[in-house]
Amino acid sequence: MVNKMISCIEIALKPELLDAEANGLKKKALEYYNIDIQDGRTVNLVTIDADLSEAELELARNQIFTNPVIQISSLVLNPSSSLTSFVFDTASHVFDTDSHALDTNSHAPLNIYFDWCIWVGFRPGVRDNAASTAMEAINDLLKRDFAEGEGVYTSKRYCIKGADLTRGDVEKIAGELLANPIIQQWKIFSKDEWETKQHTVLAIPKVALDHEPSFEIINIESDEMLEKISHERNLALNPRDIPVIRSYFLNDNVVKSRREAGLSGKDSNLSGNSDSENCSKNETVEAKTAIEGPTDVEIEYISQSRSDHCNHNTFRGIFRYHDPSTGENVVEDNLFKTYIQEPTLKLKEEKEWVVSVLWDNAGVGSFDNDHNYVITGETHNSPSNMEAYGGAITGIVGVYRDPMGTGLGSKLIMGSYGFCTGPIDYCGPLKANLHPRRLLDGVVEGVKDGGNKSGVPTTFGQTLFDEGYMGKSLVFVTALGIMPKKIGERPSHEKKTEPGDLIVMSGGRVGKDGIHGVTASSEVLSENTPAGHVQIGDPYTQKKMHDFLLVARDEELFDFITDNGGGGLSSSVGESAMISNGCEVWLDRVPLKYEGLDMWEIWVSESQERMTIAVKPQKINRFMELSKEHEVESTVIGKYTDTGKLHIKYHDKTCAWVDMDLLEKGFPKWEFDAVWISPTQRGFTEPVLKEPHDYNTLICDMLSRPNICSKEWITRQYDHEVQGGSVVKPLVGINRDIPSDASVIRPVLDSVKGLAFSQAILPWYSKIDAFHMMTCTIDEAVRRIIAVGGSLSHIGGVDNFCWPDIQYHPVKNPDGKFKAAQLVRACRALKDSCLAYGIPLLSGKDSMYVDGYLQGKYGESIKVSALETVQFSVTGVVEDSTKCVTLDPKLPGDLVYVLGSTSNELGASEYYELLGKTGLNVPKVCFDRFKVIYRALEKAVSSGIVASAHAIGRGGLATHLALSAISCGLGMEVDLSKVPLDAAKPDCAIPDNADGANQDNSYDVSQNKNGWQIKNTMLLFSESAGRFIVTIAPENKTLFEKLFSGMACRCIGKVTEDHCNLVIKGVYKDQGTWHHGQDTGSHEQDKNSEIIADISIESLESAWKSPMGGLI
Amino acid sequence: MKQQDINACDKSRIKRNNDTPDNKKVKALVLTGFGLNCDMETAYAFELAGAQAHRVHINSLVSGKADLNDFHILAFGGGFSWGDDHGAGVIQSLKLKNHIGEKILSFVNQGKLVIGICNGFQTLVNLGLLPGIDKDYKSRSVALTWNDCGNFRDQWIRMTVNPDSPCVFTKGFQTKISDIELPVRHAQGKFVTEASIIEKLIENNQVVLRYADENPNGSIYNIAGICDSTGHVFGLMPHPEAYNHYTNHPDWTRKRERIKRAFCKSDADESIRANEVSEDRSLTPGIRIFVNGVNYMASKI
Repeated sequence: MVNKMISCIEIALKPELLDAEANGLKKKALEYYNIDIQDGRTVNLVTIDADLSEAELELARNQIFTNPVIQISSLVLNPSSSLTSFVFDTASHVFDTDSHALDTNSHAPLNIYFDWCIWVGFRPGVRDNAASTAMEAINDLLKRDFAEGEGVYTSKRYCIKGADLTRGDVEKIAGELLANPIIQQWKIFSKDEWETKQHTVLAIPKVALDHEPSFEIINIESDEMLEKISHERNLALNPRDIPVIRSYFLNDNVVKSRREAGLSGKDSNLSGNSDSENCSKNETVEAKTAIEGPTDVEIEYISQSRSDHCNHNTFRGIFRYHDPSTGENVVEDNLFKTYIQEPTLKLKEEKEWVVSVLWDNAGVGSFDNDHNYVITGETHNSPSNMEAYGGAITGIVGVYRDPMGTGLGSKLIMGSYGFCTGPIDYCGPLKANLHPRRLLDGVVEGVKDGGNKSGVPTTFGQTLFDEGYMGKSLVFVTALGIMPKKIGERPSHEKKTEPGDLIVMSGGRVGKDGIHGVTASSEVLSENTPAGHVQIGDPYTQKKMHDFLLVARDEELFDFITDNGGGGLSSSVGESAMISNGCEVWLDRVPLKYEGLDMWEIWVSESQERMTIAVKPQKINRFMELSKEHEVESTVIGKYTDTGKLHIKYHDKTCAWVDMDLLEKGFPKWEFDAVWISPTQRGFTEPVLKEPHDYNTLICDMLSRPNICSKEWITRQYDHEVQGGSVVKPLVGINRDIPSDASVIRPVLDSVKGLAFSQAILPWYSKIDAFHMMTCTIDEAVRRIIAVGGSLSHIGGVDNFCWPDIQYHPVKNPDGKFKAAQLVRACRALKDSCLAYGIPLLSGKDSMYVDGYLQGKYGESIKVSALETVQFSVTGVVEDSTKCVTLDPKLPGDLVYVLGSTSNELGASEYYELLGKTGLNVPKVCFDRFKVIYRALEKAVSSGIVASAHAIGRGGLATHLALSAISCGLGMEVDLSKVPLDAAKPDCAIPDNADGANQDNSYDVSQNKNGWQIKNTMLLFSESAGRFIVTIAPENKTLFEKLFSGMACRCIGKVTEDHCNLVIKGVYKDQGTWHHGQDTGSHEQDKNSEIIADISIESLESAWKSPMGGLI
Repeated sequence: MKQQDINACDKSRIKRNNDTPDNKKVKALVLTGFGLNCDMETAYAFELAGAQAHRVHINSLVSGKADLNDFHILAFGGGFSWGDDHGAGVIQSLKLKNHIGEKILSFVNQGKLVIGICNGFQTLVNLGLLPGIDKDYKSRSVALTWNDCGNFRDQWIRMTVNPDSPCVFTKGFQTKISDIELPVRHAQGKFVTEASIIEKLIENNQVVLRYADENPNGSIYNIAGICDSTGHVFGLMPHPEAYNHYTNHPDWTRKRERIKRAFCKSDADESIRANEVSEDRSLTPGIRIFVNGVNYMASKI
């Protein structure tokens, strides 16, 4: 037996080659912290802890880890076998590390000059993807398996030059740019420290659990005791649930059956007993057993399944809603049922294309005669706030398992993202766990690796900024899949588990990672939130599993599949066993990353990349064979039964025995007081503003707003064309840089049928009323999909709620009642919108605790709550994707139209926000009036007379005219006096004012008080819903206007060839004729207008790109 | 309703091109597994080109379940084999070399075709099949490394096609098309090698594709794709399979509008452009690369 060796292969690019990674670090250090790194080089370390001979190691170094064309490398041997590795302290989730300086007489590390060297490696138990592929490669090359306890670990060494760099600077670089202490550890060496042989730390983050797996009995002698234990174990049990849990386990029959199952309480020597009256003989025994508590496995199972994340207690709760302004007093029992389930089921009846909703991991809609599409949306907020990259990659890879686990499994075809963070240039006193800029960098990279490496196109996404998100940033991820309508003879959207089916776990192994992720996301972030639930997703392992499962599906090897996400096996097995009504699980068979996990940890661990599958015994051999062929690990971990019991064993010892229907055993509904205070009652008013004089600068400044400006740097990092079906891309226009209204793909390559997809997030309107936030969000999503060629006849919706804590508490959450009322109103709006537009909710999720406690300037802790936010995703089938349109005007001379009417609706608009105001007039949606226009636009698009269409959104008409102009690289001349106004809303009608003041062109507002002066900014920046900018060829004018006759539709100008400016004529005269929305039928200049803005598209583009244009 | 659907569906089906019996004989093998992810559309592209395409898991080749000898074209597709964790394509090339290296060499020496796209190109250079100067298919003398920007980028890009290259996959471009637009989607596409190799590649016309307007990754000599000296082994960073339908092109809606207008006002050069576009509609430049390869093999068997 060779002496156990730990050795390290160091790899770096040849000195003459550019080190892009080091350059990126240099750039960030300068931009973020003004730290000047003169030069840097990155060294990759592969540390091998295995009995390999020097010859074998050299072979691995040369064959696998060194590319002779571009890399240099060195094998650093460490003969010492007395290397101390990390000790994983289970109790506190912290790691003691004893890193090891090694004697380098044998081989020296790469000799790269530096003033400072930063070594960064993972903490024990953190997923190291590169290490596992390295092991695969070494296995294959040396034809040898790694023995128990052997392993490979990757880390990095950054060699930094900079004469003036202080240790403080380097600490900052390490802690703020290179590593996150939650998952990583680092060491810093000065040149001297390095040379005095302290160098090359070979700290191997091996998890060493010196622990005998066991389970314990929970003491439930009193509610207080159980509550105490709930806190200690971080179970987040709801106090109302505790008596129910106790009474279940104290019930005589339960006690009896548990004892028969072998759960005796001999180790329990507690006394006192509540309900042992009816027991005559061996009272002592009864007295004992009656207070026998559940095992920790059982209590963890209950905690997981009762968590808000899994059970949606909030949406299923009772809301006592009161509106003092109207005197309304109602009890809303179960928002989910009333506002999501009922309308969706109603629409399912009406719409033939709705296949499966409301029960599976994702909703299913019909795509064509042979295929169904699948969609779901998730958030991954809490983990992303702890570890941005890890949280985000785990989020996207995780949501991709939902379509894989829907019906009999679907193939992934696209994904999208929504990021809501604090301002990336925030320099205020509040200390977020991660600065918004760093957090955004991390989530952008996480979704990039997760999406790209999954081979799924990321065709759409949005990024928003608001200080409210500093408490908890939001990371939305959405996934779509496609599956054949039938697998053999079975409908692909149906699945079931039957007694006798084997429970198979496929994919990754189970470790301590992700324990209590679910309960953590059901809490407000605090310093007590365990970092243990932060993980790093592994798209490579999951892609292998994805490919394998599709083959297995088509060979009809399984009857049920679901993913292991929140709650791990506890949820996936627990829920799937409800169908067969029972299961027996053999926890000792679950493959582990390392030994020493307790039963409850194996049961609730959220280790990623795992699916739970029901396989008939006669098919298990073929299933396993195929699994092996695809190098995917699959294990039989139990069987489904119909005993009505959830039975968990470890070897032959029973560690859980509960009734499958335990969760229906009268757990109380959550209750909320919801009190609505109208904006007027809150003292909201319209700001008092007079017309500006410098519209050019104003429009450019609007384009530079963080929530408006170009974010191309994010979009470009995401592969949006893999799978070859890209029709409408996320970036369009002559320079391919303008965010598209929606994306369209052809998921079936030999068909021109398209799948259109879009999303909207408009949280700002929640400042005034979450009801209108919801209607406006849904309306914008619908308009975006109509703009590219979608149809109202097929729009599927996905609602993702992110809400601050709504449970009133006089101290902790004094405005909880108002936030609860906002939620009720948003749900009402959701139902109204879905019924009005005919949108069944194919899927949806809620994340109810988007608050955080941040430390302020003086060390005080401040609770920061996010705006009530909803991401609404829509999808639609496009019969012929070759008829789709993009937002860019196409040719000079084309006519520019505005569809939909504009009102004085600047409340919570981007313009008011620019001026530091909120206002009162939030945009309102008039479904019936809008629908007529959308239908007409559908007709116009399908008849091919629309050259471009674009939904007017955040920032109003001016902002979106500017984007249109940039997108076509041509000039535009428009006349605001032609913009259709909303006669129904008097507050926006232009007053007839005959007084002479109108005659002179001066903007001296003191001269007249009729209030029309504000109309230009209203027309430019109002965010009234239901509007489009459309361009058409002049020859189509008559036909087009005929289609829209009687609707709010007017030609406001044209695309020009003689210049490349956006020229806007304003209003300054009585425009009484507007009330009738009449069109003079001409677009030549109106004498009543004068030019208020004239900006070259270069200026517009540079204003729009300047804030984030430099980012990569 | 149902009936309508069927009609709509039939109308929506895209016709295969080059469906000649000759091409049908050509069998293309598209590798799958271990994180590869462009196998579906690459196989589809070969089918559009008229060949029989088979998606084969790398392990099936390794285990002998599938035999390379049954095929005429071997396609290394795009993706992230083994997560690209230790250099893009490195572990894939190692796995293939260690298990079926000889088979691949004899495949190439029989004059059969090999195409490597993106991750496939990266694999070919690590295998040594490229640059394959003077039929040396073993030395690893060029590399594809991190883009200068240090990040993954997805963008459409115009490349010039070398008319004198022996590459059979671009033969069809010599006559009329001198350049081609395709999407690049990679983080490690920067072509690097020593000066002497570059000179050889240029001298042998092994440089097939060069970035025309913009170099997205910092490749030496703007190299986007090369072939071996016989022209049978072709590697390129951009994705021709992702231009399998005219609606893949970022400007297709603008082109469509131009054609419409051209037919209205009989504008001369507009209608010429229109003709070109409608040609691309029936057979995209991306698919022509596959057609060229398939036609070539069809003529040999």
